[in-house]
Amino acid sequence: MPALDRHLLHRFGLLLVILAVGLGLSFVTDTFLSVANLTNVARQVSINGILAVGVTFVLLTAGVDLSLGSVVALSGVACATFAHPGDHTVFIPIAVGLLTGAACGLVNGVLVTRGGVAPFIVTLGMMTIARGLALIFSGGRPVANMSSELTSLAGDFLGVPIPVLCFASVATGAWFFLRNFRLGRHIYAVGGNENAARAAGVPVERVKLFAYGLCGLLTGLAGVVLAARITTGQPNAGQAYELDAIAAVVIGGTSLAGGVGTITGTLLGVLLIGEINNGLDLMGVSSYFQAVIKGVIIVGAVWLDRRQSRS
Amino acid sequence: MRLTPRPVAGALLAACSLVALMTAFSGCKKTEARKPGEVLIGFSSRDLSAEYTAKLSEAVVEYAKTKPGVGLVMVDAQSDAQKQISQIENFISLKVDVIILNPCELEASTPAVDRAKAAGIPIVLVNQVTKSAGNAYIGSNDVDAGHIAMEAVAKKLGGKGGVLMIHGIMGTSAQLQRETGAREVFAKYPGLKLVDHQTASWDRAKAMSLTENWIQAHKGKFQAIFAHNDEMAMGALLALERAGIKKDVYVIGIDAIAQALTAVKEGRLDATVFQDAVGQGKGSVDAALLLARKQPCPKENLIPFQLVTPENITPFLK
Repeated sequence: MPALDRHLLHRFGLLLVILAVGLGLSFVTDTFLSVANLTNVARQVSINGILAVGVTFVLLTAGVDLSLGSVVALSGVACATFAHPGDHTVFIPIAVGLLTGAACGLVNGVLVTRGGVAPFIVTLGMMTIARGLALIFSGGRPVANMSSELTSLAGDFLGVPIPVLCFASVATGAWFFLRNFRLGRHIYAVGGNENAARAAGVPVERVKLFAYGLCGLLTGLAGVVLAARITTGQPNAGQAYELDAIAAVVIGGTSLAGGVGTITGTLLGVLLIGEINNGLDLMGVSSYFQAVIKGVIIVGAVWLDRRQSRS
Repeated sequence: MRLTPRPVAGALLAACSLVALMTAFSGCKKTEARKPGEVLIGFSSRDLSAEYTAKLSEAVVEYAKTKPGVGLVMVDAQSDAQKQISQIENFISLKVDVIILNPCELEASTPAVDRAKAAGIPIVLVNQVTKSAGNAYIGSNDVDAGHIAMEAVAKKLGGKGGVLMIHGIMGTSAQLQRETGAREVFAKYPGLKLVDHQTASWDRAKAMSLTENWIQAHKGKFQAIFAHNDEMAMGALLALERAGIKKDVYVIGIDAIAQALTAVKEGRLDATVFQDAVGQGKGSVDAALLLARKQPCPKENLIPFQLVTPENITPFLK
């Protein structure tokens, strides 16, 4: 099956880039290749990872979600507001955070499907609306005084950071879902050719609504994890998170035109970005150069990958 | 495309509800006719989502309310210097009597000051300077803040040891001046080594990741972290606490935001440097009113910084 081969090559090429960068880093620094540091990388990528998995669904339907960062902030603020010690059991703030994210995603989805507004515009609007709401609910100040039950979500479970466990289960679930569920296959169909999918009886609108809703739910999860990690709900958190998430997905071989892409690819894209961020800090590269190097590596990785998959 | 009655009605309805919504949320004096003799102040805040700036802006608004015959229009530049320039242009066409500007950036916000001056409207700068001087500046000298913080580090370490410095957004006047102040202290103590320095863009999550990476790269080689603001100091603190090495590292920030003060009180954060947001806010309104009424106004009103440690924290907690 040629399509399968192409995906294997995608992954293989990207895996090579990740290993090459990792190899380079373990030569240049004496700390990169240690359990403590790799745990570190895993912990730092988990928030971007959860977002990237969510937005993979949206990108597969040929949509886009630019509101990720703002919705992370809004969900974090919503979660922190209900997380003061002794107020509620820990499940309430978590549920509030998740539902806030899901609600934003569903609004995006409804406007895209029923309203017929372009996803770029809908989610651009949500980007500023969610940021504004986060500022309104928090009065512009970080929501502090969170219970230790909630902040312990950023701690470890059996030696593994809980954010990493969240990311791993989200990624595994999404991978399984896209491969084995009918709705998962429908997502590819909608992104590949919307009219053909509709003609074949795929409920296109419902599939898209699901993709945006799920993306929102996962964004809410990322907001809860971030709030637990920085022990506050920050209304100005998550600036430009959508860019890192979408970059990771695209590096992972998902087409912005929809219909093509895998969770495994997204996972690799997330790892590459995390590896670069961590490596540049370890090497003490100046702030001015970091941004440039990061951009060059991201574009370079995608270029190499595409070149390989064409040949 | 031919417009059918339904979309037209829909569009009208949407427009009406939009206007209604805007009126409901505005609550400012913009739309009312100017009363004769009323002084109208235009205030452009750097970023209402930043805790320190929000506190300063609230002080400006509240203090202006206590002054009879004074109207105030506040806008939020959301850290965008371009947006800030347009806001100042809007103030000029609104014919405000005086502008209070809380600049986004040293260089990029300079055109905003120039426009106001060209239009003959006096402009007060608050908290941050620009390349062109305003008619008055109310703020604190950020070089002092960096100096005070690094001196505290030097004193704690006995003038010897490794230090990590976390910058604010590169190129903002607070970042540049706080770094300058800190480097003066490094020059004074040859035993004090700057092990590494990096920006975390005033952001807690970024500072936390950066510190986690530093713990891997420089374990045992640093005894203090100086962050250019408290948000980032809190991020560094959390990373050190999670790694279980906070007791070996002295952490200090600047601004004395509420959470940092609580952390100092609880003995988690070692110190912060207090910057008087309310004092700056009130000072800028006073200066603006003097300028609007063509009365003499001092060019500069510097409100001093103070080091806050567990020993002297009580009055700051209020």
